[in-house]
Amino acid sequence: MVSWIRKDSSSMRAKTRAKTTRQSHWTAVLLGGLLALIAICIPIQGVQAKDCTLTAIVWEGYTDSSFEKPFEQETGCAVKATYAGSSDEMFAKVRAGGGRTYDLVSASGDITERLYRAGLVMPLDTSKLKNYSSVFAPFQNAKWNTFDGKPYGVSFAWGPNVLVYNTKEVAEAPTSWNVLFDPKYAGKITIPDNPMTIADVALWLGMSDPYDLSDEDLAKVKDKLLELRPSIRKFWSTAGELANLFESGEVVMAHAWPLTYTQLSEAGFPIGSASPKGKLTGWTDSWMVSKNSRNADAAYQWIDYILSGPGQKGIMDVTGYSGATDLGVEAVGLERAKKLFMDDLSLHKEIKMWQSVKNYDKWVQLWNEIRS
Amino acid sequence: MTTASQREQGRNLGLYATLLPPLIWMSLLYFVPLLILISYSFWRLESYDIIREFSLINFQTIFGNAAYRAVLLRTIGTALIVTLIDIVIALPVGFFIARYGGRYRTLLTVLVILPLWSSYLVRVFAWKVILGYNGVLNNALLSLGLLQQPSSLFLYNQFSTLLTFVHIWLPFMILPVITAFERLPVSLLEASADLNAGPWTTFRRISFPLALPGVLAGSISVFALTMGDFITPSLVGSTNGILLGNVVSSQFGVAYNWPLGAAFTLVVVVIVFVALTLVSRWGALESL
Repeated sequence: MVSWIRKDSSSMRAKTRAKTTRQSHWTAVLLGGLLALIAICIPIQGVQAKDCTLTAIVWEGYTDSSFEKPFEQETGCAVKATYAGSSDEMFAKVRAGGGRTYDLVSASGDITERLYRAGLVMPLDTSKLKNYSSVFAPFQNAKWNTFDGKPYGVSFAWGPNVLVYNTKEVAEAPTSWNVLFDPKYAGKITIPDNPMTIADVALWLGMSDPYDLSDEDLAKVKDKLLELRPSIRKFWSTAGELANLFESGEVVMAHAWPLTYTQLSEAGFPIGSASPKGKLTGWTDSWMVSKNSRNADAAYQWIDYILSGPGQKGIMDVTGYSGATDLGVEAVGLERAKKLFMDDLSLHKEIKMWQSVKNYDKWVQLWNEIRS
Repeated sequence: MTTASQREQGRNLGLYATLLPPLIWMSLLYFVPLLILISYSFWRLESYDIIREFSLINFQTIFGNAAYRAVLLRTIGTALIVTLIDIVIALPVGFFIARYGGRYRTLLTVLVILPLWSSYLVRVFAWKVILGYNGVLNNALLSLGLLQQPSSLFLYNQFSTLLTFVHIWLPFMILPVITAFERLPVSLLEASADLNAGPWTTFRRISFPLALPGVLAGSISVFALTMGDFITPSLVGSTNGILLGNVVSSQFGVAYNWPLGAAFTLVVVVIVFVALTLVSRWGALESL
């Protein structure tokens, strides 16, 4: 294409040879660059449309090569996952792509309704899932993923937000969140950089519904958080960062997900986990499918796989969270299922599960004030 | 045979054809995004929907909220301090390399640029490794017996943020300073010495004023880079030390409040533009 431009510009060569060659040279370079850019962009789109690649935005641990590989071999579909650090990030990213960027979302109860209201997810035909009957009965048609009488999500995992601590530095297992305020550990603790943490603080303060807070309640939460702030070494935003904070000795105690406990104890780090009774928030996660998903069938296959024994076991092994299907109970054995409270769901009933917050704008505002 | 006016036309056409690609390039990649950004900043978010109507509510939020004002002032303050420290370091280094570098001048200049060839993130993480609780500095102080137990005073505070900024932007300051000192005519320095001026007087009255455009050119880079950065404060910063960049990134990524995020960005753009206008009066842009 460069020679074509040269030939075309040869008609102008008559006057000042040096000048025109310089001009045509730059034109060639610039046009060539533009064409090259276009050439680079086109084939990528072509390739993506042909291959079966499921794109998903998930919490860390919900995709892992240990259980992803069998799925890939069976269906020929690869899963390309993006990790989200918070529910808000997850929502924002799904929203930003108009639902086209990701086929699947592992949404927690605080954004399921938001995704539904924003019209980003599709109602699911559960008859297409042969493992759906295995989902714990109270989790089928649950209020956190059923809207207008139609299921928009399939529950597959849940768990509490717990207190994780370095057993070498914290000798006695903590029984209350108050330990975070203990001057002994000042400057050595971390909490999530996430407005949902406000719900936890509301629970510590004894408020009955931590997701329905008045302005007065929020002011009390703010005071409590300001009291805690000098003790905080750093706010953590991803599980990877949190593990790093523990390993480098920066913190000895954290408000965290069980994932961190699982990862660190597997790495041989002296780590303990405590769940102060009656004062726990947590999440129940559901797979939701984007309204504009180009691989809806493959998405159904993935959901069905995660509900199956190997899929459930895979997630429980990697994250330490509790599964949500009878097939999962079978796969990990009754004893471990009991430890994860999957037999009677007593813990699930005790946890104040994340749910949508009406005055969430105010929560974000409050969080920004705490952070600045 | 072609007439003169035809040839003239042909040349004009060629000129326009040459200008067209960069013009398209600039419009698509610069002016259009800027216009989109500006229009977003005047829209607003209501229950997760962006309302496309003109409103000043975002700017009211930014300037009316004490927390956001604090972030704004902290960001400007940090950027100014970082710029000042970099000037103080860059002046002697640049002067030395330009005046006394001799045949090692190229090598020394390359050494200044060298850090820029490594990833920005690597350099920030390096400071985490150095300043951390179990980090290089703490270990060194422990083995020297200066500390009994590791100190957490070095990381996650204002000091570590400043230190990291000063280090990672320093090359952007030193380079124009070297150039400025290189352009300094030796005859002027000799004349100054002939008139019995001491080295300090010479520096104050001749070298520095002539190098000032270079210093300002470096300053605008360092200032603008600090104003917009969010990675350094989030990796090594204190729990109450977030900067404008962090607020912008949380408005875009976390809160889905693109209008407010765009308004914050516009504030940064305006501040940098004002700074740019001020320094360009002293000829900073010619010495970039």
